[in-house]
Amino acid sequence: MTRPGGLPGLGGRGTRRNLLLIALLCAVMIPLPLVLPPAQQAVAVRVLIFALMGLGWNLMSGFGGMFSFGHAAYFGIGAYTGAWLLVERGVSPWIGMLAGAALAAAFGLLIGFLSFRYKLRGAYFALATFAFAEMLRLIATNSDLVNRAQGYNVPLIQGSSLWMLQFPLGSPGYFWVALALVAAAVAVTWLFLRSRAGRFTIAVRDDETAAESLGVSAMRYKLLTMALSAAITSVAGAFYVQYYMFVDPDLAFGANVSIQAILPAVIGGVGTLWGPVVGAVVLGPLSDVTATLLRNPPEALSMLAGRAGLDVMLYAALLIVMVLALPKGLYGTLAERRRG
Amino acid sequence: MTAEARPVVPEPRWGGRSLTAARAAAVLIALIAAVTVAYATQGQPVVVTQAVITGILTGGVYGLVAMGLTLIFGVLDIVNFAHGAFLALAMFVTFGLVAALGVHPYAALAVSVPLLFALGWVLQYGLLNRAMGGPLQNQLLITLGISLLIENALLLFLGANPRSAPLPGDRALPVLGAVADTSRVLAFAAALALAGALWLILTRTRVGTAIRAVAADPRGAEHVGVDVRRIYALTFALGTACAGAAGTLVAPFATIEPTTGQLFTIVAFVVVVLGGMGNVPGALAGGLVIGLTEQLGGVFLPGQSPMLPVFVVFVLALFLRPQGLFGGNG
Amino acid sequence: MTKTWIIALAASVTLALAGCGGSAPGGTSGGAGAQTGPIKIGSLHPLSGSSAADGQQLENGAKLAVEAINAAGGVKSLGGAKLELTSGDTQGKPNIGQSEAQRLIQDGAVAIVGTYMSAVSANVASVAERNQVPFVMDITGDDAILSHGYKYSFRLQPPTMRIGAESARHLAELSEQQGKPVKKVAYLHEQSAYGTSAMTGFREEAERLGITVDPVISYDPVGVSDLTTQITQVKASGADVLAVTGYYRDGVLAAKAVGSVKPGLDAVYGVADGAFDLPQFPKDAGAAGEGFFDVNYRLDLNNPETKRLADTYKQRFGDEIRTGAVLAYDAVRTIATGLEKSGSRDPKKLRDVISSGSLPSMLVGKGPVKFDATGQNVNAIPVMMQVHDGAVQVVHPKEHAEPEARPDYPAAPGS
Repeated sequence: MTRPGGLPGLGGRGTRRNLLLIALLCAVMIPLPLVLPPAQQAVAVRVLIFALMGLGWNLMSGFGGMFSFGHAAYFGIGAYTGAWLLVERGVSPWIGMLAGAALAAAFGLLIGFLSFRYKLRGAYFALATFAFAEMLRLIATNSDLVNRAQGYNVPLIQGSSLWMLQFPLGSPGYFWVALALVAAAVAVTWLFLRSRAGRFTIAVRDDETAAESLGVSAMRYKLLTMALSAAITSVAGAFYVQYYMFVDPDLAFGANVSIQAILPAVIGGVGTLWGPVVGAVVLGPLSDVTATLLRNPPEALSMLAGRAGLDVMLYAALLIVMVLALPKGLYGTLAERRRG
Repeated sequence: MTAEARPVVPEPRWGGRSLTAARAAAVLIALIAAVTVAYATQGQPVVVTQAVITGILTGGVYGLVAMGLTLIFGVLDIVNFAHGAFLALAMFVTFGLVAALGVHPYAALAVSVPLLFALGWVLQYGLLNRAMGGPLQNQLLITLGISLLIENALLLFLGANPRSAPLPGDRALPVLGAVADTSRVLAFAAALALAGALWLILTRTRVGTAIRAVAADPRGAEHVGVDVRRIYALTFALGTACAGAAGTLVAPFATIEPTTGQLFTIVAFVVVVLGGMGNVPGALAGGLVIGLTEQLGGVFLPGQSPMLPVFVVFVLALFLRPQGLFGGNG
Repeated sequence: MTKTWIIALAASVTLALAGCGGSAPGGTSGGAGAQTGPIKIGSLHPLSGSSAADGQQLENGAKLAVEAINAAGGVKSLGGAKLELTSGDTQGKPNIGQSEAQRLIQDGAVAIVGTYMSAVSANVASVAERNQVPFVMDITGDDAILSHGYKYSFRLQPPTMRIGAESARHLAELSEQQGKPVKKVAYLHEQSAYGTSAMTGFREEAERLGITVDPVISYDPVGVSDLTTQITQVKASGADVLAVTGYYRDGVLAAKAVGSVKPGLDAVYGVADGAFDLPQFPKDAGAAGEGFFDVNYRLDLNNPETKRLADTYKQRFGDEIRTGAVLAYDAVRTIATGLEKSGSRDPKKLRDVISSGSLPSMLVGKGPVKFDATGQNVNAIPVMMQVHDGAVQVVHPKEHAEPEARPDYPAAPGS
């Protein structure tokens, strides 16, 4: 469980290789939207949004060891803050994104403080985070302040503007912005893990009692991790609204969002730096791949073409197989094999 | 990392009874106070009476649905997302038998319970046992996959049209000026019976002892010769069989669609945690608390969603009792 | 040491490319400009997930329309070019809807039909607008969908607010005719945008007509499993009529609760309700649903062509047709007529023709499909239906009512 001499999943001791890798990956990905047709570009942007959500979840639940089943709360706060400021006040989505991150971090601190103050753990903690997300959904649905169940539409502008985070469809702008956000999130995660605070967080996760006996305040580092995780996830929400141009309480705070945040990390590798990214790359296009496969099935399976629900079944089966075959996730298993 | 995510094992000894009784009394007093306030402040007593009766009956249904879930959660540490899908499957079995053979809906219990038991056994033995001991989220994902598989198989083979399996002679029974449907009253009675039966199995049989031993300490149980993998399969099968019974009992007053089960999943998780994981009578009690809170909340806060007070009460209860209202003593 | 990264890098990039590429067999072909071969029309509906029943009906309706048009010789002004329906399953999720819409447009769809769910439509509308491809909505309940000044969005179903208002007028008219003018209405609605706008439209008009609307009770359609308390509240309020807006499952719950509580009303009156006018409602609700009203858009069974469509549907899919399928059918026909008139495969020209043209409709309405400046079909009108002897019939207004069908009022439900 504890790995000698360093941080799990970081792939090296105090090196700058991860930063190099981020730069390298970005360099490889930057031309991608120039060659992808628009529909596949939409899938690629979806992948990046998944990755961002997964990175946020992984920080708190993978590295911090606090299993969250309510990341929809932070995603939704990010989405709604950005949408509200833009639609009601005409504020740039970038400022909305920052404001959303601050609010989400504050909300994370609140939930965290209450939960740790009252010593919630494990599944009880998970369900408490879920309850908070559901409360936000229900409050948003019945609150005039945020337009009730109606939600918000992002108004279309003429032309494109980086400041207003709007580009013509098919322009690589969305992809690049999302890529930059994901790269930043990976970098932030990496820097956090390398810092004193990050090391203490891992120490608290691995053995809280031991860490506290050495004078590390568990509460403090848990709260810090939660706030950072909430902020990253809220950025995913803010970007989601700008890209899909619409948000309502279910899309922002629904239980599906919380599940969506868990999936990439589990498929890629919980508690590893690159796990959520790898997981998102696998999961994001998966439903499109299964849908395409069954839309134009090979000759032998032609009787299955066009039956609704079959592609989702295939998706589900692949999900199960992946978890069973690679219990530590795609990246996690690879990393382990190298180490072992 | 998994150590953190592992839920507390259920209370293996049924000890601390007086404390549990005290907590139950406290909850009861709080509920009675809420009802009294409702009678005093609301102009129409019949509405409050109806809310209480409906709250008790829907609470029974929530408890019924949550029973299998709490068993699986408590013994296997599996957050079973497929529970709703199992429920839907049982409803479709009920509908199919009623539509094809014209039998009484409750007669479908003879098929749905064994069928779901077998399915649960196969799934645990074939799939989930391979992931036991892994992190919480892995099993969660597998059950999520199972639920997608079942729901979409139902969609694929049986279509998306809503179905119904009404109870012959279902009618409204008058209770203190309010009403209660026969089908719901029977489901409530069945919930009580099922809770009793499960409790007896767990406390009075050899198998039950083995299940409790595995829940408390799988390695220790293995040492004394318990086949842990078999007990896992058996427990999961018992849990899904409960879903089978619940599905058939709920079918007469539900609209049967492939996604119907999802309705109950969220509430059922809340009930499980409130009642204490692995605690079968706790699930029933938790169901009643949630049912009454939902209905009375609707009376007190007409503009809000009735589920809002449910989550507020849930979170407050967790803060007061981090292991659930009727959970172990930590 | 660096091997892992290289593996991970290679794996992720390969997967990304495989994934993206995999979903586009021949994705680079097509493009909206293809000048030969069949003309593609995109159809986007929730074929799986919790709205699959309606989604599949809509999809089937669109399919039948394409088959009918092809059987009649295709688009004659384009040399008898055949139509081809390319479909996508939104699963009810906006992010899937977005990439599927993009895919259909990229595959060369000249127009898109869809999507039943407001959250998905809101997104697809912006995709269509930015790609300059007409988006003809069969069903989309949220009225805000057309308030963004989009030029490529069109909607066939009447606005939910307007259905609410028309419902109030019909109710006042009918109850007066029958000598029992309604004074007080209790309203029960699901809490999302759809239920709230129907209620708002109804209440504004009802209050103008001197009818009190009280109490107004909302519920969460996602988790509700019993509506008995709410119906008891209605009974205690002394209202004459209960107006209801909700989805199918909760509509059946409401009907069952009315059957149990017996609230002593003159009528239960659906306003754009998603249950009371569906063919399977009388069976699922049983005796409790007899006499229920619903005011909604409706397929015109007095139109022999619509009647034929309903028969074909039943024969082909073994299921009763819902009004939604007819809307999807009309949406495809609208596009086909647009293609015929414009004589071009250019989506921009198609858009101009659709927005100005008048096209045949199978819905009960004041006339052919005709869009106003926002893209709303002005000629679709809601009509009053009632459950009679286990079947839903159009009963009012007289000129649209099915032969021999008369409204029963008061209908004293649950007795």
